[in-house]
Amino acid sequence: MTEAATDIRTDMRSFLEENFLYMHPGVELKDGDDFLALGIIDSLGFVELVEEVQSRFELTIDDIEITEENFGSIDAIAQFVAAKQAS
Amino acid sequence: MCGIAGIVRPRAGPPPDEQALLRMAAAIRHRGPDGFGYSLEDGAGLVNTRLSIFDLPGGWQPIEDGPGGSIIVYNGEVYNHYELRRDLESRGESFRTTTDTEVVLRLLEREGTAALDRLNGQFALAWWQPGPRRLTLVRDRFGVRPLHYALLDNGTLVFGSEAKAIFASGELDAAPDLRGVDDVFTLWGPRPPRTVFRGVSQVPQGGFLVWEAGRIVEERTWWTPSFDADGGPEGDLEELMRDSVRLRLRADVPVGAYLSGGLDSSLIVALAQQETDHQLRTFSVAFQDPNYDERSHQEEVARALGTDHHVVEAGPSEIANAFPDVVRHAEQPLIRTAPVPLFLLSTEVRANDIVVVATGEGADELFWGYDLFKEVVVRELHQRDPEAARELLEELYGYLPASARRGPAWDRFLLETGDPDDPLTSHMTRVEATAAVKAFYRPEVAAELGEEQSLNRLRAGLPASFGDWSSLERASWLEINTLLEPYLLAAQGDRVAMAHGVEGRYPFLDHRVFEHAVRLPAERKLAGMEEKAALRALAADLLPAEIVSRSKQPYRAPEVAPFFGEGAPDWVEESLSSEALAETGIWDDARVAGLLRRCRAGKATGFREGMALIGILSTQLWHRAFFRSGLGSYPAETDEPRMRLDRTEAKEIA
Repeated sequence: MTEAATDIRTDMRSFLEENFLYMHPGVELKDGDDFLALGIIDSLGFVELVEEVQSRFELTIDDIEITEENFGSIDAIAQFVAAKQAS
Repeated sequence: MCGIAGIVRPRAGPPPDEQALLRMAAAIRHRGPDGFGYSLEDGAGLVNTRLSIFDLPGGWQPIEDGPGGSIIVYNGEVYNHYELRRDLESRGESFRTTTDTEVVLRLLEREGTAALDRLNGQFALAWWQPGPRRLTLVRDRFGVRPLHYALLDNGTLVFGSEAKAIFASGELDAAPDLRGVDDVFTLWGPRPPRTVFRGVSQVPQGGFLVWEAGRIVEERTWWTPSFDADGGPEGDLEELMRDSVRLRLRADVPVGAYLSGGLDSSLIVALAQQETDHQLRTFSVAFQDPNYDERSHQEEVARALGTDHHVVEAGPSEIANAFPDVVRHAEQPLIRTAPVPLFLLSTEVRANDIVVVATGEGADELFWGYDLFKEVVVRELHQRDPEAARELLEELYGYLPASARRGPAWDRFLLETGDPDDPLTSHMTRVEATAAVKAFYRPEVAAELGEEQSLNRLRAGLPASFGDWSSLERASWLEINTLLEPYLLAAQGDRVAMAHGVEGRYPFLDHRVFEHAVRLPAERKLAGMEEKAALRALAADLLPAEIVSRSKQPYRAPEVAPFFGEGAPDWVEESLSSEALAETGIWDDARVAGLLRRCRAGKATGFREGMALIGILSTQLWHRAFFRSGLGSYPAETDEPRMRLDRTEAKEIA
């Protein structure tokens, strides 16, 4: 794993803990865990998550990229952000 | 419209303490600001606080059926009392007053509880028969009017329109019932007979109970919403609605109307304006926040119908400042601030010398107006045609930001929440969203309550033919029984109107309108994704086209914003401090701290966090209002009673 990808994961974990996980006692979120399957993010939360990724990593994200494959887990976000940054 | 209360003991003995009756009267005096009365006899005392609507000079309660006869205290209206009176008079009965109360008492005397089927109205009553020491408590079909009671260990029964009258009696100390609180955070309100107070029950909607000499000897429902096909003709909706509105304009005082700007209340206003020979006064809530404001629609209807229109604008500070009073009147934790503007509105109504308002509640439940019903349709479509279903998802809940109504989280929430085979499946998205509040329970509270206790009680009490009804009929039954009565008619209805002595009347909740709606073909209620088709057809000739075609906009009010930032009251942070949370003992300090961080930063914009904040804050206020102080917080009534019916043995001897 690259240092950049580790940073993305750390940033996202900290964001998720502060903003969403406080409402979900007992959930130990692993990097590969599916946020939506665990029910820790609702649709407005999902919007907030996408906006956070957009502003934190200075990306432009198209509507068609807002999918579970790209935003469904910490791993998915790290891969998506790394790929966007590389492109 | 009034408040009622009383104490009855298993044996005659001395009369109840008169001071206790005066405290009970004071506790519910807001329901009956025009005056109060009480009766006193050996081992029984009944109280009434009166909002005068019929027979202004002569209708003081309690009313007795002759000296030593049975007594009634009564809260509400029976709209067909003129017809019932004529019928009784033709059978030789005569009356001392022109009230509906006396008609109801006479009917009960003649026919017992079988007479209830003949009543068209909204009422809660207590009928006392001294001979057998029998008290019958009755509540109207949909539960428009509240009625609470506590059966004590010694057999004494204490009752009151509101629980605070029971606590004011001094017979029972207020204590929380966390199972009732958990009902609120599952289904938005405590479901009768449960309440949020230990030892206090509610007479269920459409129910009655009979207490006799210390024991409850009968307890059953006399009417329940049923979707069983009865083969009867569906009838003419326009004729029925006109009659329902006409009956609900009956009063010896002027009647006004609430106008939200949506189809239902606009239709009621249109019909009411046609039925009355004076200019109808209409009342609306407007919001400073344009996301909630419907004033342009309200003004359009008022202009088109020529009503004398009044608006109360609810800004953040008005909402925050009134919130503690609303919780005290509602007597339960809340998950929405929506009752607050209606509390403010009833002040305006009263200031305009109106004490009765017709309103549009009930149409969405009977004619399938809520998006919840469309969800049912979309989920069923998803089984057959997933792509078509997904396309419809964006049409649901149009009041939410468009960005939140698409994407994988939205799809999964609406399509995958709950088990399709669960009888409660139509309501599981709401239950799931509301459960966000429960995530803040302390671990020991969560463990004590267990999972799904409210839902399991609901599942266990479903009617026998529930499974025979269509999915939309099942959803309608659940909506009537879990949202309408426990929340919309209570915390958001009776309590916030009666807080200022204003009576709401509900033409859609005439049982004949319900029976008509049941007989209508499904597509006259929900036609594809167009809700309330039959009502739209009726409204087409009565309202501006733009109002007729408006999509349902649920009535909501700002939730988080009023309580944080500049101008927010100090008691908010104080009520949510570690010390205050520890005193209440329900909420987990660390998790609430996380929520507060989000609220202070203006990030708590989702509906789950909104409900969590309002749920927690209102629980704290509710706890403070009811459990911190004792009997000292219930002063006795100091006004002179308008009626003091002394029927004690001692008096008779004297």
